[in-house]
Amino acid sequence: MKRRRVLFMQLSHIRQLVKKFALVILFLVAFVMMLVNKTDTVLIDKTSSVATDVVSPLMDVLMLPARGIAEVYDYLKEMRLAREENQYLKNENRKLRLVSERAKALEIENKLLARLLNYSRPDEINLVTARVLSEEGDAFSHSLIAYLGDKPATKGQVVLTDRGVVGRLDKVGKLYAKVLLITDINSRIPVMIESTRVRGILAGDNTRRPKLVFTPLASEIKPGDRIVTSGVAGVFPSGLPVGVVSEVSKRDIRVRPFADLDSVEYVKIVSFAGTENVRPEEDGVGAGDNE
Amino acid sequence: MCGRRKMVSELATMNDDWDETLRYYLQKLLPLVSSIVLVLFSYMPFKFLVPENIRPEISLICVYYWLLHRSDVFNLFSVFLVGFVDDVVTAAPWGSNIFQLLVLYVLVNNLLKFFNGKPFEVMWAGFVPAALISMLVRWLVVSIYYGQFLPLSLVMFSFFVTVALYPLITLINVFVQNKLMTDEV
Repeated sequence: MKRRRVLFMQLSHIRQLVKKFALVILFLVAFVMMLVNKTDTVLIDKTSSVATDVVSPLMDVLMLPARGIAEVYDYLKEMRLAREENQYLKNENRKLRLVSERAKALEIENKLLARLLNYSRPDEINLVTARVLSEEGDAFSHSLIAYLGDKPATKGQVVLTDRGVVGRLDKVGKLYAKVLLITDINSRIPVMIESTRVRGILAGDNTRRPKLVFTPLASEIKPGDRIVTSGVAGVFPSGLPVGVVSEVSKRDIRVRPFADLDSVEYVKIVSFAGTENVRPEEDGVGAGDNE
Repeated sequence: MCGRRKMVSELATMNDDWDETLRYYLQKLLPLVSSIVLVLFSYMPFKFLVPENIRPEISLICVYYWLLHRSDVFNLFSVFLVGFVDDVVTAAPWGSNIFQLLVLYVLVNNLLKFFNGKPFEVMWAGFVPAALISMLVRWLVVSIYYGQFLPLSLVMFSFFVTVALYPLITLINVFVQNKLMTDEV
């Protein structure tokens, strides 16, 4: 009886101590979390993926009414501009029909020449579409959370919109994945200038315009040059559109991404067959709406 | 017959007790739940009028409001949880949002407590320095983490957006407090 009372007193004493130093303890916890995060271990990756899988369904539920309202708003907005847009699209369609005929002829010519030279083509890419649930872009980080469902994906895969590269998969959970945007401070993508094939690395710094670094000093880079992925290291397929050089100064070269990172609704995740980052069981076509 | 009636009335009393207990805990959790919902809502992919896709720091507004108005149900652990959810959604270093909210907790508890019960404008004015200090501390901590200064202009822009949105978020919090919570908690 006496021992139990002593134990109870000890427990209440510990509880009082914890209460007294709770603030200090939580500050320490936050600090330790940051330190552990810095080490970038598998443990952190897994924990973060699980946490994303737990929190994201809540966002999915919240999205339902919000998406409905947004769709009605968009519908009304589009109706207003439908006539003008229809005319514009008709004109564009006329032009594109000509381009399409030319492209078909070039494709056949390309195939014949490739056969003649015994040229082996680069690996095909598969695209898996995912819906964006959340986006953020402030001074501290730039990322998205996308709903993948049961579609196969692994860390490091490149993520696109219809305009160009937006980032790469960072944390992949069972159903959801976090996408690190090309503007994030942790993002590094091997790229090249499309016309001159000068290589470099596109490095984010949490601003809207990522920097082009590690380019040869003698290279002539000017505003308006198109940037595409270089495919160096075999992580990304080459030739994917990334952006255009917007500013060249003595300090740095800035790139304006093709993709509108402010409002991304759907993304495409690239499965690049022939690289190591595709798991054997996931090789080939995914379960979802592949294109 | 009499025994059966007694049993039914006992069951009804038990049900009432359960209802009351459940309602008590749900109401206790309301500030935390509403804060988390608002934080998640702020990250939804809608076309914002604000350029650069800068999102307001909704968590700061919620934590400030609930610490001043209902510190009995919104404690230190709630602050930690809101920060944790914020950390999970963003790609910022884990712990940085928690750190920011804990700084706000210290400021509110030690310096701004006398703002409680003051007119709305005074509370809004009190939020301005509190939010600024919290955000600057986070900016400094994350800058040290990365070993380079992050764009301060974006932090300031986010700060202004947050301060501008304070009345709207406060209105939602007032609704939760007045319409959904009772004084029994």
